[in-house]
Amino acid sequence: MSMKQQYGQSKDNYHAKIIIKSTLIFIVCLLLTLICLIPIYIIIVNATHAHLDLTANPSNFWFGGSLGDNIKTLMNKLPDDASKTAIRVARQYNNSFNVGRGYLNSLIIAGSTTILTVFFSALTAYGLTVYDFKMSGPAYTFIIGVMMIPVQVSSAGFVRFMYSLGLINNFIPLIVPAIAAPAVIFFMVSYMKSSFPLDIVEAARIDGCGELRTFLTIAIPMMKPAIAVQAIFAFVANWNNYYTQNMILKDEKFATVPIMISKVLAFDKNVDKGVNFLCVTLSILPIVIIYFILSKFIIAGVALGGVKE
Amino acid sequence: MASAAQRRIKAISYAKYGYMFIAPFFLVYCFFQIWPLIYTFILSFKGNQSANTEWVGFDNYSTILFGQGTAEGAPGVQTEFLHALGNTFILWFGNFVPQILLSLLLAVWFTDAKVKLPGKGFFKVVMYMPNIITAASVAALYVSLFGDSKNYFINATMLNLGLISEPIKFVSGPVASKIMVMFIQTWLWFGNTMIMLMSGIMGINPSLFEAADIDGASSTQQFFKITIPLLQPIMVYTLVTSMIGGLQMFDIPYLFHTGARFSRELETVAVFIYYNFNKGTVDQASYGYAGAASIIIFAITAALGSITFYMNRDKDAIAKKKQRKKAEKQYKAKMKQGGLSI
Amino acid sequence: MSKLTRTLALLATLAMASSAFVACGGGTEESSAPAEGSSVADESSAEEGGDESSAEESGDESSAEESAAAGGEITLPDDGGTLSIVCWTDTDLLNMFDVFANHSDAAVEYVSCGENGAGASTEYATFLNSGQDVDLFVAEAGWILNYINDDTMSAPLSDLGLSEADYADAYQYTVEIGTDNNGVLKAASWQAAPGGWCYNTDLAQQYLGIEPDDTDAMQAKVKDWDTFAATAEELKTASDGAVTMTATLGGLWQAFSTAKNAAWVDGTTLKTDVAAEFTDMAKEYADAGYVNPAVDQWSDDWTAEGLNGETLGYFYSTWCLAAGAQLEGNGGSAGNWRIVNGPQDYFWGGSWLCVSPNCNTSGAAAEFVRDFTVDPAIMEEYSLESGDFCNNKTVMDKIVSDGSNSNALLGGQDQFAVLKDVADGIKMSDSITKYDQNLKDTFVDVLKKNITSDSATILDAFTTKALADNSDLTSDGAAPADDAAADDAAADDAAADDAAAE
Repeated sequence: MSMKQQYGQSKDNYHAKIIIKSTLIFIVCLLLTLICLIPIYIIIVNATHAHLDLTANPSNFWFGGSLGDNIKTLMNKLPDDASKTAIRVARQYNNSFNVGRGYLNSLIIAGSTTILTVFFSALTAYGLTVYDFKMSGPAYTFIIGVMMIPVQVSSAGFVRFMYSLGLINNFIPLIVPAIAAPAVIFFMVSYMKSSFPLDIVEAARIDGCGELRTFLTIAIPMMKPAIAVQAIFAFVANWNNYYTQNMILKDEKFATVPIMISKVLAFDKNVDKGVNFLCVTLSILPIVIIYFILSKFIIAGVALGGVKE
Repeated sequence: MASAAQRRIKAISYAKYGYMFIAPFFLVYCFFQIWPLIYTFILSFKGNQSANTEWVGFDNYSTILFGQGTAEGAPGVQTEFLHALGNTFILWFGNFVPQILLSLLLAVWFTDAKVKLPGKGFFKVVMYMPNIITAASVAALYVSLFGDSKNYFINATMLNLGLISEPIKFVSGPVASKIMVMFIQTWLWFGNTMIMLMSGIMGINPSLFEAADIDGASSTQQFFKITIPLLQPIMVYTLVTSMIGGLQMFDIPYLFHTGARFSRELETVAVFIYYNFNKGTVDQASYGYAGAASIIIFAITAALGSITFYMNRDKDAIAKKKQRKKAEKQYKAKMKQGGLSI
Repeated sequence: MSKLTRTLALLATLAMASSAFVACGGGTEESSAPAEGSSVADESSAEEGGDESSAEESGDESSAEESAAAGGEITLPDDGGTLSIVCWTDTDLLNMFDVFANHSDAAVEYVSCGENGAGASTEYATFLNSGQDVDLFVAEAGWILNYINDDTMSAPLSDLGLSEADYADAYQYTVEIGTDNNGVLKAASWQAAPGGWCYNTDLAQQYLGIEPDDTDAMQAKVKDWDTFAATAEELKTASDGAVTMTATLGGLWQAFSTAKNAAWVDGTTLKTDVAAEFTDMAKEYADAGYVNPAVDQWSDDWTAEGLNGETLGYFYSTWCLAAGAQLEGNGGSAGNWRIVNGPQDYFWGGSWLCVSPNCNTSGAAAEFVRDFTVDPAIMEEYSLESGDFCNNKTVMDKIVSDGSNSNALLGGQDQFAVLKDVADGIKMSDSITKYDQNLKDTFVDVLKKNITSDSATILDAFTTKALADNSDLTSDGAAPADDAAADDAAADDAAADDAAAE
């Protein structure tokens, strides 16, 4: 879409228009950026204030001096002369919100589900598009059909079932089902149909390449863009999956970041607002930082999420 | 030489690989999803609370849909379910419309080469950012800023500035809290939708816009005559995914509260199901209602999904048919000619 | 190629697993799932499967036969491991752990489940049978009946060698509540929970002219509900509306309703007369500004009211006055609060220790329960250490007559002296039902939201919601649930009422 030069005498006028338009758009974008960033800024600011300050004056725009104390409370590293209550508060927060453990659990779940989801969805999509077999049509229809089923519909039965298998407080019910991701398959099938030349499979066969190896060494690299998009979506979705995690993971050892944060927010005793804000900050900040570091790749990946023509 | 190899390959049936490749999906799906689905279905015909082992036929359905069940509380259950269903649609609609409009506008701006926008990449990155934050944290973030009383940031600030004289009930007010949830959902998803739409727009052949430019079409004309019609597939995709997601809306409505319980004003169907299922011991939980509500929401999703697919069926179906015919022709031709190289 | 092998291995595993599931699926359908669920869970939990499934089988009467340990009456297994006590918070437990460590070498561990007292009532249901190591668990008055009346959730105290005879000195209501429908003692409380009215002396002096240590003068100002309201009016005028009389409707409700000794549910009938009375009072208080109806009990706003000096007082039970409990968080650390009896003698909740049928550290569990619910010396030590009101009449009499207790948060006042007589009068066992937590939450929720509507609307809304949540309940005056036809008629009536209302 290069800009053309056919506008002759109205060119100056045209340029002025573009500058005005661009400025307006810039201002709108700036506002939206602020709306995205300000809540996070305020949370961080509040995490640096003490409970009593926040109770007396919740309207803070600049950093306070209690970040260290709040961190000590959260880490349960209070000085020896701390009051009994302070110790209680610290123990309560430390029990329920263990940043490292939460991130580790969340990473294990989100990481493994992402790998399983994209690998098996690519495999299924490959199976459906490359091979011509009797059940491929019905199988694809089935996948599109079940894509419509909301999680909540089967969640009741799912939890009771996992319960009866003794899989409560276990990552298996959160990870293994990721192998079956109908929406991802749907996406990958449409991607393969538009940009995966079937001839290449035949060429590989002629060269004596086995079917699985063809998939692993030829198809997967060619599907990289689609896999990248869906990997990002899958990671974000599983990272944020409070609903199922909350029903399966009842033991604090297995608590993930979303579970921990909702637990802290529900305290009705020994609440320390400063530490609450610190917990929220800690649940947000690391992932945001990782995101900004990887942002170029992620944005490019998400952009591929658009349906191909 | 090639022809011999090809013939040999043609002779092998690869169907078994097809079955093998799709087997993991179906095994896992059947194991983890089909039985739970059947189980939910069974639960929907069983009683609630202390009667949870009794078969009650369609009692749960008539309770939820018509308030006609045997329990005296039936009308209350119906009211609550319809309230939840209404909330679900209000909250979904209220975030989908602004979200798609805003995203579309931004996507057009960001892809318009005529607009000179410094920091475009930065804007994109920041606008997508809310999407990666855990919903639980997002709810926590907004609750701790928008709490009902003067003890929370927004109300305290507005009171200090004299903008309001009474705190606004952002969390428990029936209207304000819904607007908040719509806002949060939009905040979470507009960046995602924007980038999806951008990729759709970038996929449109640039020569179309160039030609339109030459013919003197204005930006607005280009938008309505080129961008919108050609964006239709991706818009439909967004609509379908957003609709399925909207009917499942749980995290934000469930977590956006300050009291001990979730807010009734924000109760969606997903919250209704979760609440009835998790009310406590077996004697306290209403598995029957939860099951029936699940089946009903499934029916609604299926209906809406089918309608959407039906409305967009022609193009897909025609393309598919063409493809199949073409493939068949090619296949037959190949079979006939046997050894033509590729 | 190894990928293929692995894939195939996975498929085979899944296939096996699914056939195994089909085999057990047939059985699960007919009976209630958790009992089954737990036994399956036990089988598959490798570490303590043996212990637990045997405990499961011996859950009830059969335990005696299984008991090989002839020495004691303790019939649950003991592997000498760490004693795990489940609770939603360790505030109370930590005080107990400190005292316990003075007397025992047994390792104790706090296991967290649930977010708060109300939330735990639902979280426990999954947790207790999830194959976790649970020896004892703490339950609140509002929902304990759900757990002690379910043999898959709780074991009799006799399995730990404790009997009713051990509790002759305990406040009788705690024993009655800890006894299940079959007369089996299943839970013991370490505390009695009489309630009082706790106020900020600075505000009382400033607006009501009451000297800081003159608690009698304050009691005279709140001696009954009429006087309480009159004082609230005086306070409102004096402070120009800046200070409310008490923080929440929830607190008022507790003081008002428990004193009535009326149960929420009689048989299967929902009783709303006390709720109706309270609704009128709540509306009056909210209209007049004596209380801020928007504040939720236990919420941040609730805490802020005390900390910021926006309310004169809270209704507190004894467990709110202990070290590290609510009083301290709500501004009590300066020691300028005092407690008086308030308008009515009342009581508030309390917590019980229950035994899990999966208990596998029975020795330490028995010791722990005995120490805090039976042993007078340790109970006295605990009371003095923590400020909690222990569940032993003799001990409490002794503490009060010795004058050995002084609560720094109350400027050295002895809250036991104020509340001891109230504890003697608690008759909670008549008024507790398994629906309490749900009904109370629902009522306070409905009341808060509809406080500006008229009383009838509020009660209607509450009844509708309560019946919707509890399908086995009927409203006042409706036919009993066992008659199906009558029930249908009742449902029709309700539907007709509903239509008429709209």
